[in-house]
Amino acid sequence: MTPIAPQEFYLLLPEIMLATSGMVLLVLGSIGRGTSNRAAALGALLSLAVTTILVFWAHGEAAEGQVILAGMFVLDNYAFFWKIVFLLATALTVLLSERFIDEGGYRAGEFYSLILLATTGMLLMASGFNLLSIWISLELMALSSYILAGYFKRERRSNEAALKYFVLGALSSGILLYGISLLYGTTGTLALEDLAQRLALVTAEGNLLVGVGWVLLAIGLFFKVSAVPFHVWTPDVYVGAPTPVTGYLAAASKAASFAILIRIFFQGLSPVVVDWQIVVAAVAALSMIWGNIAALTQTNVKRMLAYSSIAHAGYILMGVLAASEGGLWAAMFYLLAYAIFTLGAFGAVILLERKEYAGETYEDYAGLAQRAPLLAAMMLIFLLALTGIPPTGGFFGKIYLFAAVIEAGWTWVAVVGVLTSAISLYYYMGIVVQMYLKDSEESSTTPLRAPVLVGTLVFCAVATVILGILPGFFVEFAKASVLPVAWSMF
Amino acid sequence: MFDWVHGIPILSIICYLPLFGALFVVFFMRKDNSAAIRRFATLVAAIDFVVSVPLWFAFDRGGELFQFRESATWIEAIGARYEFGIDGIALLLILLTTLLGVLALLSSWSAIQVREKEYYVFMLLLQTGMLGVFMAMDFFLFYVFWEVMLVPMYFLIGVWGGPRKLYAAIKFFLYTLVGSVVMLLGILALYLYNSSGLFGWGGLGNPRTFFIPQFHEISSVIPPDLQLWIFIVFFVGFAIKVPMFPFHTWLPDAHVEAPTAASVILAGVLLKMGTYGFVRFSLPILPEATVELLPWLVGLSIIGIIYGALVAMAQKDIKKLVAYSSVSHLGFVMLGLFALNPAGINGSVLQMINHGLSTGALFLLVGVIYERRHTRMIAEYGGLSSEMPLFATIFLIITMSSIGLPVLNGFIGEFTILVGAFNRVWWWGLAGVTGIVLGAAYMLWMYQRVFFGPLSNPENKGLDDLNKRELLYLVPIVVLCFWIGLYPRPFFRVLEKPVDYVVQKVDAEYARAMSAGVPDAPTPQLTEAED
Repeated sequence: MTPIAPQEFYLLLPEIMLATSGMVLLVLGSIGRGTSNRAAALGALLSLAVTTILVFWAHGEAAEGQVILAGMFVLDNYAFFWKIVFLLATALTVLLSERFIDEGGYRAGEFYSLILLATTGMLLMASGFNLLSIWISLELMALSSYILAGYFKRERRSNEAALKYFVLGALSSGILLYGISLLYGTTGTLALEDLAQRLALVTAEGNLLVGVGWVLLAIGLFFKVSAVPFHVWTPDVYVGAPTPVTGYLAAASKAASFAILIRIFFQGLSPVVVDWQIVVAAVAALSMIWGNIAALTQTNVKRMLAYSSIAHAGYILMGVLAASEGGLWAAMFYLLAYAIFTLGAFGAVILLERKEYAGETYEDYAGLAQRAPLLAAMMLIFLLALTGIPPTGGFFGKIYLFAAVIEAGWTWVAVVGVLTSAISLYYYMGIVVQMYLKDSEESSTTPLRAPVLVGTLVFCAVATVILGILPGFFVEFAKASVLPVAWSMF
Repeated sequence: MFDWVHGIPILSIICYLPLFGALFVVFFMRKDNSAAIRRFATLVAAIDFVVSVPLWFAFDRGGELFQFRESATWIEAIGARYEFGIDGIALLLILLTTLLGVLALLSSWSAIQVREKEYYVFMLLLQTGMLGVFMAMDFFLFYVFWEVMLVPMYFLIGVWGGPRKLYAAIKFFLYTLVGSVVMLLGILALYLYNSSGLFGWGGLGNPRTFFIPQFHEISSVIPPDLQLWIFIVFFVGFAIKVPMFPFHTWLPDAHVEAPTAASVILAGVLLKMGTYGFVRFSLPILPEATVELLPWLVGLSIIGIIYGALVAMAQKDIKKLVAYSSVSHLGFVMLGLFALNPAGINGSVLQMINHGLSTGALFLLVGVIYERRHTRMIAEYGGLSSEMPLFATIFLIITMSSIGLPVLNGFIGEFTILVGAFNRVWWWGLAGVTGIVLGAAYMLWMYQRVFFGPLSNPENKGLDDLNKRELLYLVPIVVLCFWIGLYPRPFFRVLEKPVDYVVQKVDAEYARAMSAGVPDAPTPQLTEAED
């Protein structure tokens, strides 16, 4: 093994910076009465800003596709794209977290420290170039998320969420690891590039082992992106976790899981692409169908958004299924847009919530357009984006996912996609009906007066519309960042 | 005199003026100042109409097919461009839209009493969406406008509608959304086939584009099976919008529940988007599929004509009657289109305008009487002609226009359609005539029951006749009805070129299909439209 040059560590400075500030926040938060919420949030934002600068710096410094630390990490455009998405989603989450810690009387330092540590895990995932480094980074993100989901430690639903998330998450990580070990056993390598080369040489006898290996690996990844039939944890965790955490899971965590899913499928498993495509097609279709149908009957907005997130995993998987550059950048663009508008939707939920869980049902939105026209209008934009109606980022992203999947010949999946999008209109409009077509009730809560939150939502709403009508810049960004698709379909 | 419109992005101005008006209302006008809001919104729509009129004069009848072109890069990565441009068909529909926009807003002054700010905002947004649909020359852009427009209409029905508004609004939204997402698959298939290729079908390898004339260009090389698939998905999208039997069930619900102005726009403009879709996309891009499916398409059109008329005859509610009459009239428009000859298509485009005017006016009239009596039941009325002579006169003129009496606009449209239909297959024309007879029956019967006879219901005594504002929004329509009825030549003149273009697109293919020996296709007989 070649020795590691010390300057390779410089290129890891963003991650080091973020991890360090996470731990500093943790320590500061535990001394005496701890940090104030505001100070901790500012600290977190500051370190995110510095990390962003470092990410840009490291990106400029490294050669495209430079592999560092003995093949553990890679600095390519693909990783850069995701790091920007994660940092943006994390910053939005921090901004949305302003109020809930105060209300519950929980310590602020730990919360932001965990968020930063989870984000560190995501940044490492984006760069991971070896199944082992990817797995460890994933665990860093997952373990921090388990604690975050249980952050309301005096609430039973939050405890339940954390416990379920932990048990099922650990199970899926185990499955993932088992799959990795089988692939390692057959090919003798964990490095993605070597893996792809050796998989191509696997003989007929080795096929079964490889098959079981990648299926287990895929199951682990489908669990992380909450695709049907590995989605059962999602609704309970999304409902029980504090809402900013839920938004974070839906936006950043899902994007990070997709980042490694795409990298592993396209850089490590490319020789078996024809085998995994049918599995991805089935999972995508099932996610779209079940996610959207189950969402129809929900009465709790967070639970509905959980099922919607399952359905969206299906839409995004279409980009993976297409196995073309068009499909990949469509999926990447969509995850960027989805992060913004789903955080916006959760932000609107936060503004209406009281005392942990009150104010989450559809009825709580009755007459919102009269009580808070701005908030209602923004929620309308987010819901239209989730449905995929122009002029929003959700529309543009979805259209191109459909185009990519049709181009690749999976027309039936696209048909499922468009029909389930039409179904989804019904439950998203359920909230719109309450906001605009019903009158307020006595018990209806008035939204919080929280300028930072409202400002964040305005940002999300404007960004959602811009991604819908002028997506050019972001599309080019995603397009320049796709992984090379090494094989041709035909 | 109107040359200056060539120097400015006139179409964009017309399209986005209402949008900016809406934004102004949102940000700068106070919610409780409703009088100012309604005046401002109406003024914006009126200016928009005034700005759109020069198009009529500056449009070069013998010039390029698409004029007033605007072209700019938009989303380069996927080849979507910002392309605006109109031909004669779009020109007429745009003028109809801007005109009906003003009239509909004027009619809302007294009809809308709650949440007026939002109402006028949605009405203006709707205008922008509809105008964009007719102006877009890029399929992607077209689709954006096509979908955007659903949102304000949903709110107009859902917030200011009648007792079953929630049901009607979501039904409208779901039906049309299903239609449009299915249509989207067809757009994507065309897009991919033109460029990189569609799995299993190959592709032409052209640069990626959504430019509509490019798809017209390749119409002859699209394989017939692929044409058939794309036609079917387009059909779902457009037929729901028209609406053609059996996709029409959302329409009566939407119309009955919608507030008057929304009904006017819905019948006047929204339904035309479906027929516009057929004449702009299905026919010229997918000619072989059109010819192959012709018996089915014509069958559904004829069923629509007769079924709509029969159901209209059975209605007790005037508004519902008018709604079903739309189904019947739109069946007529479709019949004209599917005659695939100049007479049929000319008549059918003109009939789109006629239907927009006369049905729009009928909804306005129903709105007038509803505001006075809060009922639309035919049985509640009788003998109104003595109380409201002016109202009765205008209602009569519009009724005559709707049933196609000579000297009024409906006659010209229907007659031309029938010429086209007879020329294609004689019994298509015969079926159309039946529809006209039935149409005369239900309209006249309704008119008789509402306006003639004794004034038996005491509540109808002393009803106010039309006031000035009501006259202001009804008289322009009456004038136009006479104009088209007496001197339709300018309208046919504008349509000549685009209609010839469509016929040539769809018929050149048809001739080829004949020589290849399609057994049971009807003989093509082309005649010139008389005007």
